[in-house]
Amino acid sequence: MPGISSVKLNTFTRCRDKATEFALGLIGTKKNPNPTIKSEKLNHTIEWIGKNLSSAENRLILGASALLSQPFIDAANKDVDKDTRKISICRTVAKIIAGTLTGYTIRKLCIKSIDAFTKLPEQIKPNMKFKKMRKALTPNGVKSVTDELVQYKNAFGTILGLVVMTFTNFLIDAPLTKYLTNLFAKIGGVNNERNK
Amino acid sequence: MNAINKLFSKSKDLIFTKFGPNPAKMLIVTGVLGWALSSAAQVVAILVNDKIPKEQKMFLVPQEICDGAINVASFFIVTSAIKRFASKLVSTGKLANVNIRKFLNKNPLIDNAGNKVIVGKNLNIENLPDYHLIKDDYKKFKNGIDVVGMTVGSILSCNIITPLLRNKLAAKRQQTYIAKNTTYKVPRISMDDYRNISAAKFGGLKI
Repeated sequence: MPGISSVKLNTFTRCRDKATEFALGLIGTKKNPNPTIKSEKLNHTIEWIGKNLSSAENRLILGASALLSQPFIDAANKDVDKDTRKISICRTVAKIIAGTLTGYTIRKLCIKSIDAFTKLPEQIKPNMKFKKMRKALTPNGVKSVTDELVQYKNAFGTILGLVVMTFTNFLIDAPLTKYLTNLFAKIGGVNNERNK
Repeated sequence: MNAINKLFSKSKDLIFTKFGPNPAKMLIVTGVLGWALSSAAQVVAILVNDKIPKEQKMFLVPQEICDGAINVASFFIVTSAIKRFASKLVSTGKLANVNIRKFLNKNPLIDNAGNKVIVGKNLNIENLPDYHLIKDDYKKFKNGIDVVGMTVGSILSCNIITPLLRNKLAAKRQQTYIAKNTTYKVPRISMDDYRNISAAKFGGLKI
């Protein structure tokens, strides 16, 4: 059995590598097969994204782009009747707004909380509260604030945020989604008696 | 207490070493975790809801698990494929900034093992003998492109592919359900009820 699995895995890896190679071949032109980013501004933006874009900002981008795509996908869904389609659009928009608001806020707060307890000794000021706990989450052997430490705080904060959101999903998202769905249905004149 | 402290300390170090140098990987892993937890929470909510009859639970729980699997699989497959492509763009030197391009043009393209490598094909900048000279510039640029790739991937999977798949699946389920009830002529669920369940089921709440 392990033989069969490894053959399947090798085939998968080969196909994946071929697909990546093919996609790489599509980039660039005959004249300039390997493009170079010459704009200093663009280069700084790319580096800034790599350093600063945490899961909270990622959730915000996902939410904004969801508003531009998902309602239209629901509107084009001819597999369900008109009423279901209308109410699903209202619910989708409500869900995106509720999910993005809570998702962004909780992630951001959790990352901030982790940051507050991931301090280096020189960052602890005399007027700070809970001085003893400020180093509680700092990884072992870290001597200075590096990009890796920033990403560590983002990762730890996001994991904490996911645990918190398992509960807020029901406590905040679900009721807020229901409220907004009814509100949008009312504004749009959709028959939504059963959802009230 | 000592064992808990050790475990906590190990977890911190694991997060630091795995995600510290690779923010895009962190976003993918936490994204998958988010979808999985979200679906698990929906399943638990159905299971503990006294207002849902047992018969409906038997239908709703597998449906929710199926939706969760689609969400997780689509997110993981699409996002990691695009992130991988973005990574390869930079590591093979196909896409570079001015400093990396200068480095590639100046240095002989022979890797640590002594093999001749080609830009955009089999080159891995990290395997070049003088890699340490460009490491900082390269890492910053690569992390940025990785995160851009991951973000594009997650927009594609979460906002386009997954909703399309879910709508198709939900409509199929609705038709099967109605057909089943018509055959037996025992309306176990009204159309209105189904509409509500169906509308509520167009995707789990993404956390």
